[in-house]
Amino acid sequence: MNSPSDAEVIRRSLGEPEAFGLVYDRHAATLLRFLGRRVGAGVAEGLVGELFRIAFERRKTFDGSRASALPWLYGIGSNLLLKHRRGEARRLRASAQMAAAGEAADRRASAAALDARLLFPRVADAIEALPDGEREALLLFAWEDLSYQSVAEALELPIGTVRSRLNRARAHLRKLLEPGGKNRERSR
Amino acid sequence: MKPVDLVRKLRREAAVKPAALDRGKAVLMAAIRQEVQPMRRPTIVPRLPYEDVGAALSFLERAFGFREVPAARGVRADGAIDHTMVEFGDGMIGLGAQGAHGAFSPKRAGTTTQYITVHVDDIDAHHQRALASGAEIVGRLHDHLRDYRVYEALDPEGHRWRFLQWLREVPQ
Repeated sequence: MNSPSDAEVIRRSLGEPEAFGLVYDRHAATLLRFLGRRVGAGVAEGLVGELFRIAFERRKTFDGSRASALPWLYGIGSNLLLKHRRGEARRLRASAQMAAAGEAADRRASAAALDARLLFPRVADAIEALPDGEREALLLFAWEDLSYQSVAEALELPIGTVRSRLNRARAHLRKLLEPGGKNRERSR
Repeated sequence: MKPVDLVRKLRREAAVKPAALDRGKAVLMAAIRQEVQPMRRPTIVPRLPYEDVGAALSFLERAFGFREVPAARGVRADGAIDHTMVEFGDGMIGLGAQGAHGAFSPKRAGTTTQYITVHVDDIDAHHQRALASGAEIVGRLHDHLRDYRVYEALDPEGHRWRFLQWLREVPQ
C-alpha cells in the first residue's frame, strides 16, 4: 500500500485540517536542520513551528501538481530567514572559523592551513555580500542539495531564472575571492 | 577549488532535538485547533505576577499539567519570558513579570491575597504529580465531607493553588 503523497495529504487537509500534522511529521526534521544550519539551533527551534503554521495557513495555495511539499516548505523557511540576516551572518563567520580550524588540524602548519585561515573567512564574507536572491538560491543548492527544479519551486521562480542566478552567484564568488577582490567592508 | 565547493565547506551539520520538534508541532497543532475551533476567550482571565515567569511556567507545566497557550508568549530583549498564558481544561490564566500592573509575586510581597481553585479529573494522580515535581503541599489531600476530594499547594513563588475533584460526579 502506498502512503499518500504530500499533495494528497494537503488536499485532504483542506476539509480535515488535522491531516496537515502528517506534513509536519514527514518534513519537520529536515526543515529544522535547514534552519539550524542557517541561524543556529536556538533560533531554528523557534522558527520551525512558525514555518509550519504559515504553511498550514497557506495550504490552499500549494500547487497540487507537485508531489512533494518539501521545496514549498523550504521556500517559506527562506522567507522567514530574511528576518534573521544578522544572526545568519554571525553564524556564517563562525562556520568559516571552524572550517579553517578543521583544515589547519588536517594539515598542520602547512601552507595550505595558512591559506585556509585566510580563505574561509573570505568565502563567508563573499556569501554574505551576494544579493539575497542569489545567496538563497546558492545555499539551497549547495547546502540543502536541492535540484534546480526544487530551488525553482522553493523560490517560486522559473527554472531558467534559478540557473542564471546560480551562475551569477558563482561569478560573483569567483570575483570576490580573487586576490585583491573586493569584499564588502565589515562594519566595526 | 570551485566556488560552490568552497561554499559546501562552510555547511554545518545540525542536530535535531526531539523536544524542539515537539514544540514546533505544538505550534502547528494550535493553529490547526484554532481553525477547527476558534480560540476560546474566557470572560475572566486572572493574571498572576511572578519574579521569574519562565521558571514559573515550567513548574506549572511540570507539576500541575498546565499547557502554555501557543503564541501567547512575550519575550524581553534579554530572552527572558515577560508574560504568557497557560490553559488547563477550559480555564486560562496569564503569567506576567511582577511590577507590571502594580502586582507583585507573593515571594516579594510576603503574603498571598488570593488562591485559585482548579477542578481536575483524577485528583490522586494530580497530587502525585505535584508531589513528585516538588510542589509544597500546604493542605493535605483529603475528602471534604462527601462532596469533593481536595489538596492545596504552593508554587515556587508562593501562589496558592487548590485542586479538587467532585466526588458526586463519580458514578457510584
